[in-house]
Amino acid sequence: MSEIKTHARAVADVVDGLIVASVEIARPPERVFQALTTPEITEWWVNPGVFDTRKWSGDVRVGGRWSASGIARGAPYTLEGEFLEVDPPRKLVQTWSRLGMDGEPSVLTYLLEAIDGGTRLTVRHAGIVAPEQRQNMSAGWRTSCDRLSEILPTQKR
Amino acid sequence: MRSPSLPRRERENGIPGTGAQSRALTHFSKYVINRLQIMSRIHAKTDAFRAIADPTRRAILDRLRAGPANAGTLAADFQSSRPAVSKHLKVLREARLVVDTKIGRERVYAVNPVPLQSVAGWLEGYRSFWQASLTRLKRNLEAK
Repeated sequence: MSEIKTHARAVADVVDGLIVASVEIARPPERVFQALTTPEITEWWVNPGVFDTRKWSGDVRVGGRWSASGIARGAPYTLEGEFLEVDPPRKLVQTWSRLGMDGEPSVLTYLLEAIDGGTRLTVRHAGIVAPEQRQNMSAGWRTSCDRLSEILPTQKR
Repeated sequence: MRSPSLPRRERENGIPGTGAQSRALTHFSKYVINRLQIMSRIHAKTDAFRAIADPTRRAILDRLRAGPANAGTLAADFQSSRPAVSKHLKVLREARLVVDTKIGRERVYAVNPVPLQSVAGWLEGYRSFWQASLTRLKRNLEAK
């Protein structure tokens, strides 16, 4: 079988909080779609020493939930979300939140395109907001909190 | 820099006062501060999304990444009225995405690199996650 040589590429858009990544795989879209929607995910959401997905489960239908857990840089993490669009073997859309972090979930879209000799898989991970960004935004409010904390203890002393 | 979470007086005195009254007060002030911090998180989210949600503001941010500019230049670049641009700049300033400096009689706007850098660092984690994962997916599937 001819092997497609293209490497995976991923780029980030800082202003939009968006990642776009793509790879070409010498397997049909049906086979790739299966790898996105089964516990097979634990075999490839892995980067030794950085993150390691140990468990994945999902109810792959619109409105169904998914969850994944593992270790990232020595600390356990859990990801979870909901499937928004399930259109095998062409498209899969799911929300993505990290357990214990507030804020709107990001949205993950997989697009699978049949190409000569295999599949082009495009990943669009949109709406990622950094926790630091939220903190910076609230700096004004924190100043008010500081002032209040100075006033309150003095009032009755 | 002060820590935002503890009342200054309490920190300076070490253990707060002895009476039950002052303990109750400490609890109360902690409660109020806690509520305010929760509110500030909600507020922060709204702020961030409001600032970034608008396409014109994203375009203004992109333009300012190329270099600082005043409101007049930006209005000309975006074929927009100066008050409209000023309004967008106010939102961006409140979200701390841009900073303004007065140079003579002019107010010059620039991207505030600090929040964007922390966002960039956070995003880089996701970017490398997808790069590594897709590389592995390709290798796994093609090996099978």
